[in-house]
Amino acid sequence: MQLRQFVRGRRMRRWRMRRITGRALPTAAPSASSTSPYGVGIGWRPEIAGFVADLPGLRFVEVVAEAVAPAGPLPKGLAELRGRGVTVVPHGVRLSLGGAEPVDPARVAHLAGVAALVDAPLVSEHIAFVRAGGLEAGHLLPLPRTREAVAAVVANVRRAQAELPVPLALEPIAALFGWPDDELDEAAFLTEILDATGALLLLDIANVHANARNRGGDPHTLLDRLPLERIAYVHVAGGAEQGGFYHDTHTDPVPTEVLDLVRELCARRRPPALLLERDGHYPPAVELRGELDALAAASGYPVIT
Amino acid sequence: MALVAGGPVPPGFATAPVEAARRALLSKRAGEVARHWPLLAAGLGAAWPATFTEWAAGRPGNGSLRDGWDLARELRNHGALPPLGAEELATREVTLRYDGRSRPRPRRLPAVARTGGAVAVQLAGRVRLLRPATR
Repeated sequence: MQLRQFVRGRRMRRWRMRRITGRALPTAAPSASSTSPYGVGIGWRPEIAGFVADLPGLRFVEVVAEAVAPAGPLPKGLAELRGRGVTVVPHGVRLSLGGAEPVDPARVAHLAGVAALVDAPLVSEHIAFVRAGGLEAGHLLPLPRTREAVAAVVANVRRAQAELPVPLALEPIAALFGWPDDELDEAAFLTEILDATGALLLLDIANVHANARNRGGDPHTLLDRLPLERIAYVHVAGGAEQGGFYHDTHTDPVPTEVLDLVRELCARRRPPALLLERDGHYPPAVELRGELDALAAASGYPVIT
Repeated sequence: MALVAGGPVPPGFATAPVEAARRALLSKRAGEVARHWPLLAAGLGAAWPATFTEWAAGRPGNGSLRDGWDLARELRNHGALPPLGAEELATREVTLRYDGRSRPRPRRLPAVARTGGAVAVQLAGRVRLLRPATR
């Protein structure tokens, strides 16, 4: 406990120092407790905390940042994983980096606080907006793929990066509809944002499938054009066909098409880590283990179950 | 606006995908509210998704706690609140003070609530369901 507090304190001091000097200090060898995401992981949720705790080969999880209090204490299951040296990546869902208005400093401070609390090697958020004109959508909504939107996102990402103690990875979302005034295609839109901010990429391979299925376009071409070397880790989730659309529900099994895309991606350039997201309708443990094993098989990473 | 507040689909947007997104949003909200109001949702059973989405269509969300609370009160006013939901509502009413407009706040004083025959009391933060709802 004391060691962890010491490490966290050092990390916070380094962060404050960097904010003062405006540049990164040389970092010591990273402690074994906060390595970058590696291999197959799973999104930690209270409902499946027992299942996750029983995964013998687990090396990294993700937690929804808004579900954690930066002042602590960590949820018990998560604290135990940290004690085992499992990497925890805070994943924000409410920052609204794509909003027309500047990102809310209190929400950035929350994300930074959670990153420090779990000694995270990085944090992630979406290229999306979740509120506009005083209304909360309660959902990640797509931006128009215009130069103006690129500029707005870049400005917000830079504001966030200035306050975050660790690198930020950006995740493109799944959307059923696009804007009528798109100027860029998905690959160009994402690449411009990543180039201008130096942010990492959190690629959601199920979103790649969903967007291609619902909005047209070839998912393989998109993989060919994305900067795969910037991927910090990959999201994999289940979905279902309904009403003529593929819905990225996170409450259904991972379909074959998505696992095929995982193989396609790994054949081009294997990402350092892949994470299964499940957000409800939790299946029996044997089925969830099966999904993790399928992910390990498709990517060639060690089985963690 | 079209997605959460019942507004029209703006010109230039494809109607079918926006409509599909609107319905997907509602069903996602239904799941989230059911997590915060498990007994209310269980009491309505198979009718839960339709009951919630019918009520929530065109009504921007105020968070799952308040959305479920507003719906439970409305069902109560129409005599359509199931017993499990009545017990959950009574328990919430004594725990937090909710004016229907702003975030619910913890109650400092003791409270009694009666809903559909269910009676709940709260004393010094301890909540008891004294009597189950009429079944």
